[in-house]
Amino acid sequence: MFKIYIKIAWRSLKKQPFITSLNVFGLAIGMAGAILITLYIYDELNYDTMFADSERIYRVNADIKFGGAEMNMAETAAPMASVLEKDFDQVETVTRIRNWGSLLVSRENSKDDGKEDRSAYVDPNFFAFFGLQFLEGDVQSALENSNALVLTKSTAQKYFKDSEALGKTIRLNNEEVYTVNGVVEDMPKNSLLREHTVFMSMLGFEDSRSTQWGSHNYFTFVKMLPGYSIENFQAPLQSLVSSHMIPSVQRYYPGITEESFLASGNYVRYSTTALEDIHLYSNRHIELSQNGRIENIYILASIGLFLLILASVNFMNLSTAHSLKRAKEVGIRKTLGSKKQSLVSQFLTEAGLISFASLVVALLLAISALPYFNELAGKEIAMPFNSPVFWLLLLMGSVFLGLLSGWYPAFFMSRFKPVKVLKGSGEQSIGGSRVRSALVVTQFAISVFLIVGTLVIYRQLQYIQGKDLGYSKEQVLVLNDVFTLGNQRQAFKERVKKLTSVENATLSSYLPTPSSRSDNSYFEEGITDQEYAVQMQRWFVDHDYASTLDLEVVVGRDFSRDFPTDSLAMIINESALAKMGKTADEVLGKRFSSDLGNEDASFYTVVGVVKNFHFESLRNEIGAWNMVLGDFSNSMVVKLKPRDFSSSIAQIESVWNELVPGQSFDYYFMNESFNDTYQMEQRLGHIFIVFTILSIIIACLGLFGLAAFNAQKRTKEIGVRKVLGASVAQITYKLTLDFLKLVGISVLVALPLGWFAMNRWLQDFSYRIDIPWWILALAAFVAVFISVVTVSFQSIKAAISDPVKSLRTE
Amino acid sequence: MLLQLNNIFKWVQQGGQRVFLLKDINLTVEEGEFISIMGPSGSGKSTLLNVIGMLDNFDEGEYSFLDEPVHQLKEKHRANLYKQYIGFVFQAYHLIDELTVYENLEMPLLYKKHSGSERKAMVADMLDRFNIVGKKDLFPTQLSGGQQQLVGVARALISKPKLILADEPTGNLNSAQGEEIMQLFKELNEEGVTIVQVTHSEKNASYGRRIINLLDGRRV
Repeated sequence: MFKIYIKIAWRSLKKQPFITSLNVFGLAIGMAGAILITLYIYDELNYDTMFADSERIYRVNADIKFGGAEMNMAETAAPMASVLEKDFDQVETVTRIRNWGSLLVSRENSKDDGKEDRSAYVDPNFFAFFGLQFLEGDVQSALENSNALVLTKSTAQKYFKDSEALGKTIRLNNEEVYTVNGVVEDMPKNSLLREHTVFMSMLGFEDSRSTQWGSHNYFTFVKMLPGYSIENFQAPLQSLVSSHMIPSVQRYYPGITEESFLASGNYVRYSTTALEDIHLYSNRHIELSQNGRIENIYILASIGLFLLILASVNFMNLSTAHSLKRAKEVGIRKTLGSKKQSLVSQFLTEAGLISFASLVVALLLAISALPYFNELAGKEIAMPFNSPVFWLLLLMGSVFLGLLSGWYPAFFMSRFKPVKVLKGSGEQSIGGSRVRSALVVTQFAISVFLIVGTLVIYRQLQYIQGKDLGYSKEQVLVLNDVFTLGNQRQAFKERVKKLTSVENATLSSYLPTPSSRSDNSYFEEGITDQEYAVQMQRWFVDHDYASTLDLEVVVGRDFSRDFPTDSLAMIINESALAKMGKTADEVLGKRFSSDLGNEDASFYTVVGVVKNFHFESLRNEIGAWNMVLGDFSNSMVVKLKPRDFSSSIAQIESVWNELVPGQSFDYYFMNESFNDTYQMEQRLGHIFIVFTILSIIIACLGLFGLAAFNAQKRTKEIGVRKVLGASVAQITYKLTLDFLKLVGISVLVALPLGWFAMNRWLQDFSYRIDIPWWILALAAFVAVFISVVTVSFQSIKAAISDPVKSLRTE
Repeated sequence: MLLQLNNIFKWVQQGGQRVFLLKDINLTVEEGEFISIMGPSGSGKSTLLNVIGMLDNFDEGEYSFLDEPVHQLKEKHRANLYKQYIGFVFQAYHLIDELTVYENLEMPLLYKKHSGSERKAMVADMLDRFNIVGKKDLFPTQLSGGQQQLVGVARALISKPKLILADEPTGNLNSAQGEEIMQLFKELNEEGVTIVQVTHSEKNASYGRRIINLLDGRRV
């Protein structure tokens, strides 16, 4: 019996190649999109699961409120790890990692320098803790020396080629000499350590033995004993505040007690995040590496689902519309004694066959699109051909999709009454048109929704890019690793400033794009109560900072070499002023210190106020900020004149090479770095637009097929109308209008939904657009335009057909 | 007695009025009969045939088929009944275009419990009997009208029904082809198959041994 089903299905599919290919193609596009999205989501969901005992590992967080500022830290104080290890029975082991940024790496007696962007100090048990395998050296003892380090496999190959790296020495930043005591496999691509290449022993890092609980710089990971519930860990963890944190802070702020600390609204709250949750759920001040966001997973998952629904709806629509042709078959089978179930099986077999063919096409599509998708999504996903689960899922997915898309047509068609469909020539209405209309409305509503989403995302990105940030980022070059110049930094800067192609230059590690940050609480002179502390960013800059980045001083003055006292001067921004609740005149000349209670504290005098500028992402409000003079700079910012940049850069490089020959000259443009901050949104935008286009294609395929069917069904009506004198234009209009009504309903349904959903998305940005009315109008217009084009092709074809022919068939 | 209709009424509601399709039909069909139903268009011939074939319901009256009260049977039971005892022949042949002659003949057997080899034998038998062995791999569209109807009759006969219902079996054929089919019916009837046919033509009607005339849903 089944063989017959397949046979009939195959032949009847072959008989309508147009419909069959519309069906297969529509389903295949939907499936391919869903496959790619599923791979992406799978990759995101499996971050950090490759580490041994990953389900028992937690990171300790600290939420701090002090002096009016709240900080959500992913790091904790240095001494916390040893306390957790010693005093907590439920903890199996603890390890720490401290990010150390970029390093210059050179082999002993070699000028062959390289640079590693991500290095870190790690506790000696770090690799054993995460179950990472060594290729060379011993996992247990590799970092037991203070000058030991571990390289990843590809880093070792980079510096030592094919020879063994183990036991060799290398020099870091042209200073300290380290011994390579181990080579570890490259860090897994979907882990939070993915960018790290050099791991130095924590034993050589003095600060790691600090007993200070007030500064939070160490990512601390605990591995709980098996079977221990993390909820029971919360209270003991929090007790560390009274037992260790407060006593430690008392050394710096004498007289502070836990009660007074809490009474002034301050707090320190410790918490944990499961290792496996970090990538998607953690969004703290500084993370070990950039995380994804679960919201984006939800968005993508819904897009994938939308695509499948669209494709499946397409199938239902086309199948039921064309079931007229199958009606006769159904009638005959019923009079020959076929049961309803066997007809249903017949049609489901057909749906399954189409679904399976689509799967094959979808796989081919997905395979060829994967490289582009990877680029779009910033991933390195490979098709998991070796995974039986993947194949099983595909197979189950296509069977499920076949059943889902097939059930309605199957039950619809098997309900035909033989007496009706066998009577006469069978040109009567087959019904179900209301359902088909509803399905078309669904399809277009989804498409309109996605169009609105795409437009809003792009509009917001455009807004970010075009927003007046309060500083200038165009033609601004940032030079890295300026510390390699040593004490020639000033000389270098002065020489660069004199270049004809350069407008200005400044030395500072603090930039409005991702860079160093330091948060401090400030007290006005005479204030001893920490209740009045003001939390502010403190940036160390030089005299040329404001002029190079075009910061606007609105009150007071910029730093000046005419005032030697400026070494203790401070310039604040408008937000800081607002936070203090004072006017500029009240604050100018006032002295502030960040060191409450210290006899020798240095006080900074406010000399100016700059207009607010966006030194953080536009997702955040502009916070309180100040800058003081100080020479702790690792980068130099150069403002170029608007001319040929490459020759300008060459000029600067030649100065660099003169001063430090052989040191790598590394730079980037500030606006590129700025754009990187919004990479996630940009990727989302790209992904959105691609899948929106796909969804529109699918919806159009469906509409096209339906229009073809409709025109065919109304051949006789069109013939009669023409004979009675209707023009081609009138008939085209009439046929198209019916579909336009449906699209109109979709637009009415989708616009409010899209508006609502995208407003929710925009809430993540402190600085955001209001969704302009024209975005909604444009989305509606695009939907209407595309559907008119799709439908009118068929309508015109029907309208110009010869009425004599169409009437003769009766 | 093969079947008996007692006071059968069938109507539709049209603009608040009952329009009768069948009105007080009484009919008894004995085994081995050959009955022709005649009447002008819209007189209810096909409706009556469909009621007899259990493809259509009626609104009032009693219908017993082989002493089974059809009007009391459930849909499923009824389907089993006609599947087993009734074969249909249509004016427009109604072969399945996607299937070959062989497969079309095999189709009714698939809905009953016959083994593969049994089906093969039965289809071969039919092909043989109707002299269409050479055409068994052709599709219906490749046959002439007369040949298609031949296959249609063969398909109706293959499950060895007691009753054949034919709705204008020669309506789409030319006179020579029509003649052939009617001759075939006559032979079948002589072999003991009961036949009820609907026809417009006096000539075809005369093949039957009894003629029933309908007008506006009534026997006249």
